[in-house]
Amino acid sequence: MIKIYSTTHCPYCKMAKDYFTKNSVAFEEYNVENDEKALEEMVKKSGQMGVPVIDIDGVIVVGFDRHAIEHALGNSS
Amino acid sequence: MVYDLIIVGGGPAGVAAGIYAARKAIKTLLLTKDFGGQSVNSASIENFIGFKSISGVDFAKTLEEHLRAQEDIEIKDGVLVSKVEKVGGGFEISTAGGDKFQSKTVLITLGSGYKKLNVPGEKEFEGKGVFYCSICDAPLMKGKKAAVIGGGNSGLEAAFDLLPYAEKISILEFTDSLRGDPIYQEKLKKDPKVEIITKAKTVEIFGEAFVKGLKYVDLNTNQEKMLDVSGVFVAIGYKPNTDLVKDLVKLDEFGRIVVDHKTYQTSCPGLWAAGDITDGLYNQINPAMGDAIKAVLNVYDYLNKLITADDS
Repeated sequence: MIKIYSTTHCPYCKMAKDYFTKNSVAFEEYNVENDEKALEEMVKKSGQMGVPVIDIDGVIVVGFDRHAIEHALGNSS
Repeated sequence: MVYDLIIVGGGPAGVAAGIYAARKAIKTLLLTKDFGGQSVNSASIENFIGFKSISGVDFAKTLEEHLRAQEDIEIKDGVLVSKVEKVGGGFEISTAGGDKFQSKTVLITLGSGYKKLNVPGEKEFEGKGVFYCSICDAPLMKGKKAAVIGGGNSGLEAAFDLLPYAEKISILEFTDSLRGDPIYQEKLKKDPKVEIITKAKTVEIFGEAFVKGLKYVDLNTNQEKMLDVSGVFVAIGYKPNTDLVKDLVKLDEFGRIVVDHKTYQTSCPGLWAAGDITDGLYNQINPAMGDAIKAVLNVYDYLNKLITADDS
């Protein structure tokens, strides 16, 4: 299960979402701008507040770090 | 396989170079982490000629599509270049993934990255209240107080990104007045949420788990003052990404690559550079593209001379 914590205009969030869509990987998006519970969850998981935060089956990636994402996807499939 | 040209970087300069190189049928490889460079961080680009307004993300997509529409260019994205070496008469480029590519010429268009403040607490609280991408992280300041460090255009843009969210925004500028475009300054000065503090030198960012405030020296009185904020948005300019080539080429006092402004050649024969990474005067998208195009046309002339030399 992949979760992306994002804000509305964040370019790296958009890039991350585009990346998953292009590679046919399903994800759920949580916009922390309007969802305080999701924001709290994101801060708890990543220990910081910057977006995007991507949770790939428990592996937490901060920022659109393609290598880290590919690594996490490789391990989860 | 030896390429005629390897372009390193996929910002506006790199993409413009790639399109021209493909159209000149130069055997080209373009290596980049992603497309658009720093422009992706703009909510709206309003001075790119031909577009009244375009978001940074859409602009990056437009660039990538135009590049991919060229038939004769090899593109590898998602790639981090780790080394550029002079080998024999040409160059060898290594990537973080362990690939190696050879080329007769190289064009570096790696642009620049956020400049850091280098004060205590900045590194410790990165992402924990210290932010560099205001368009990304401004929404996290909903109902909170935030500081913007830097009164140039990027600082003023950060303040605009914060306006819909933050309860109060303090802009700290080191010199005695804001430096950004007057049209932005006027709008911000009128907003009751915005406080402008000039002659302020930020010296420390502090907090516990997250940022709680910052300390600055008021250069009028040399007194240290505190500001109670939950977010510090650092917008003090950019630092050229020259780590890869700093031992190969001559740099200026600001660490930018010195180029010949007619040909965009660096001090290292066979190596060109264009865009924000160079010692050009104005860091803007339009001129960066023009510079990169001139660089590629000069590479084309250089390669033709190599062929003529081989034939004779």
